[in-house]
Amino acid sequence: MNSTDWISGGLFLAIGIGLIASGSAFPAGVGGLPGAGFFPQAIGAVMAMLACALVVTRRKKDASDSIQMGNARQVAGAAGLLFVYLLLWGQGLFILRTAVFLILTLRFLGQRWWPATACSAALTAFAYLAFDTALNVSLD
Amino acid sequence: MIPEILAGLSAVLDWQVLAFLVAGVCMGAVFGSLPGLTATMGVAILTPLTFWVSAEQGLAMLLGIYCGAIPAGGIPAILINVPGTPASIATSWDGYALTRKGQAGLALGINALASAAGQLTSIVFLAFLAFPIASFALQFGPAEYFGLALLGISLMAGVSGKHVLKGMLAGMLGLALALVGLDPMTAYPRYTFGMSEFLDGISFVPVMIGLFGLGEVLVQISERHTASGVQAATIGRILPKAAEYKSMIGSTFGGATVGTMVGAIPAAGGDIGSVIAWEQARRAAPDKAEFGKGSLRGLAASCSGCNAAIGGAMTTMLTLGIPGDAVSAVLIGALLIHGIQPGPLLFANNQSFVFSIVFLLIFASVLIMAIGILCAKPLAKILKVPAPWLWGGIVLFGTVGAYALNHAVVDLWAMYAAGVAGFLFRKARIPLGPLVLGLILGPMMESNLRRALILSRGDWTSMLTRPILLVFLTATLLALLWPLIRRAFGSSASNHRPSLDA
Repeated sequence: MNSTDWISGGLFLAIGIGLIASGSAFPAGVGGLPGAGFFPQAIGAVMAMLACALVVTRRKKDASDSIQMGNARQVAGAAGLLFVYLLLWGQGLFILRTAVFLILTLRFLGQRWWPATACSAALTAFAYLAFDTALNVSLD
Repeated sequence: MIPEILAGLSAVLDWQVLAFLVAGVCMGAVFGSLPGLTATMGVAILTPLTFWVSAEQGLAMLLGIYCGAIPAGGIPAILINVPGTPASIATSWDGYALTRKGQAGLALGINALASAAGQLTSIVFLAFLAFPIASFALQFGPAEYFGLALLGISLMAGVSGKHVLKGMLAGMLGLALALVGLDPMTAYPRYTFGMSEFLDGISFVPVMIGLFGLGEVLVQISERHTASGVQAATIGRILPKAAEYKSMIGSTFGGATVGTMVGAIPAAGGDIGSVIAWEQARRAAPDKAEFGKGSLRGLAASCSGCNAAIGGAMTTMLTLGIPGDAVSAVLIGALLIHGIQPGPLLFANNQSFVFSIVFLLIFASVLIMAIGILCAKPLAKILKVPAPWLWGGIVLFGTVGAYALNHAVVDLWAMYAAGVAGFLFRKARIPLGPLVLGLILGPMMESNLRRALILSRGDWTSMLTRPILLVFLTATLLALLWPLIRRAFGSSASNHRPSLDA
């Protein structure tokens, strides 16, 4: 059995069981009419069945279907920088924190200082002008 | 009738009205091409600007935004795999595949042409078949809406390529995410974890930006190949060849018909219309295996389908006063502000105004086609930008766009979580389209099923006496069993199912 089917099947099975369990805590409904718990349980049951079907029907070993994470370090770094940027959302000036975030991200992805700074400044300025100035979306 | 048509045309041919229309189309193109900004948002934000002008001028601008935003949503979907509006999700399936093959110009050209064809076809429907379509849509009750949503969900199997089970599981996950928030019937909070931010549920626009935008960026970083990459270094020609035009005619007008019909159904817009149009074109096409891998037919069908929904939605709005989609709901408000009441009486008392709307839509369609073709080459140059710059831009505009929707930080985290999930799902070869479809259709499916059961006093069997619902249920069953039927009959195409993994 290949790894993507194992992991996907297991994950969806867990979510399905979780939906069934959590759905039972919601009102079941009265007089034959379904309540708030009906849909979560129905979706959970279908999801659990499909997940079991995925695990059962994929028995052949298929090397091409295994998970290839590629350059995981760079992905983790870029995702981590964005995570910090979102954590700091609303703190300080949008222009400043966004420009710093973009410079660090572009540097991390291998860009030189000068192009990274110029690109970051241009993108930040454009985003600020389009959203904050023109569309009145307060970004600070 | 002729004097009313001429009066409608002469009202539109005023230079000020045309100037407002051009301005509206240009602004709509900006709203559509920026992920996170939607046609609904554009019309809503700019409606106050029309308070100080005549009804024709104001409506020209608002219709221009509407008609400009939907095709423009296909531009980022084609170039960077980030749908500009929810209606462009299906456009990205074949459009981005063409870009990766170095045919971004052709994809943008087809987007412009098929979008205009879809809009114009739906306007013909509006002009000639407004009353029959609207009357048909009026027969829809909760049970029929449930059937429509069920059919949409069943199409997951069709859009999941060879990973049918994974696609259906992703769709179920989308339905599960749609459960977050207040129960639509009893207002009982579900999966809100005590946070008021979740009471309104999870917005699908940030999820869409995360799945298709941030997720795509992370995949490209992991594979360290660029969005412009070797394969997309050339932009290619813009206009299709004669043989390509010929091959796309059926799917374009088939998609336009489907899109118009779906758009005419209240609350079902271009997002559903384009997916159904794409799937119907795939079923009818001789080259099914190409769908999702850069099929011109698939791209034409999805573009015409999502744009044809405009005419369908306008038909329902004008004839019945019922919004066909979110944008037309805002448009109704704008019309009321100008003292115009959409509904059957509008056709009886103010026919020239109805024809003004028809001509405005025609001019807007032609305008957006011209802009789309003329701007295709400059727009496609975005692919020559160094990949990390493009990634930075996608992340920044995706983030700000997700925030701009509701000014809510929780939307940013929804986008981030969806981005990471999108990356992992791609790696696990789980199709993303069904997830978004489930998220969009979930509330419609649940609330209408439960309303239908209330109306039938909990009797499930009485719902089966409704003919329209039966048609939908049969179509759903066929859609789900189609892979098995095809395998049973040994179709050679069964081994070449299209894949939308990426």
